[in-house]
Amino acid sequence: MAHQAHSYHMVDPSPWPIFGAAAALLTTSGLTMWFHYNAPYLLIMGLLSTALVMFQWWRDIVRESTFQGHHTPTVQKGLRYGMVLFITSEAFFFLGFFWAFFHSSLAPTPELGGQWPPVGIKPLNPMDVPLLNTAILLASGVTVTWAHHSIMEANRKQAIQALTLTVLLGFYFTALQAMEYYEAPFSIADSVYGSTFFVATGFHGLHVIIGSTFLFVCLLRLIKYHFTPKHHFGFEAAAWYWHFVDVVWLFLYMTIYWWGS
Amino acid sequence: QALRQISQRTISTASRRQLENRVSENQKLFQEDNGLPVHLKGGVKDALLYRTTAGLTVCGTICALYYLLVSSLPKKPN
Repeated sequence: MAHQAHSYHMVDPSPWPIFGAAAALLTTSGLTMWFHYNAPYLLIMGLLSTALVMFQWWRDIVRESTFQGHHTPTVQKGLRYGMVLFITSEAFFFLGFFWAFFHSSLAPTPELGGQWPPVGIKPLNPMDVPLLNTAILLASGVTVTWAHHSIMEANRKQAIQALTLTVLLGFYFTALQAMEYYEAPFSIADSVYGSTFFVATGFHGLHVIIGSTFLFVCLLRLIKYHFTPKHHFGFEAAAWYWHFVDVVWLFLYMTIYWWGS
Repeated sequence: QALRQISQRTISTASRRQLENRVSENQKLFQEDNGLPVHLKGGVKDALLYRTTAGLTVCGTICALYYLLVSSLPKKPN
């Protein structure tokens, strides 16, 4: 059997990239069918196939790394670059929505009553649930760092405790935010205030859910002994993503919730 | 004292296997020289999941292309 004379990972042929592309096609055309013809079937197929592809693709990566040993230091370096670039692209994504917010709020038009918040909008009190949510995310940043140090010091029990706490804090944030959305006195249709508020905080909430899921998967892997004190990049990637989500919230809180009220 | 005793309870053998380190078993399974690609190397469950995903995406793509074609055709007024 021939062995490689380099430290890179030449992956086995895989169907997930093309199936993932097909899933994206189904999801987008499904959205169109749902919006215009009230037919949700294509969308459901799209979301289902997307979930299936994601599960199997990442399952295969765990197999290739933890069980087959393909993630050499060289490969890990590439993965680090990749995650950094991805998070950077997400930062630019949010930058766009912040731009939209400042475009509308720095020079409010006569239609809004020449003021921000616009006439008739009762903004949420930033010192109420939003402040609690800030505390929750900051605390979760601390617990995820605690988990990281515990992993590096081979302290299994504390690592599991800290990561569990982090995941629970993430779920708590999502639950509180969902309640806030339900109870808010304004909706997405309420002028550009509603649009900027719900699109920016909505995408942030989606990222909290993604981050919490990523951390939860890491928790399962931690319990199953996948991580070593020296090699646990999956966890580090999840922690980086989580800190990014926290930072975006801090900006959201300071600008939209606090300055914008 | 009592709290420490409770938290150090032993788990029965059946569920104990779930909590033990099975990484080396998995390493043996996925490094077996059987020519299988990683997405099918786990056994029957892998093949089932693969076929479900393939079926869903292929059928869905055909459906999507059909609906796209239909919705791009002009409606003939009578």
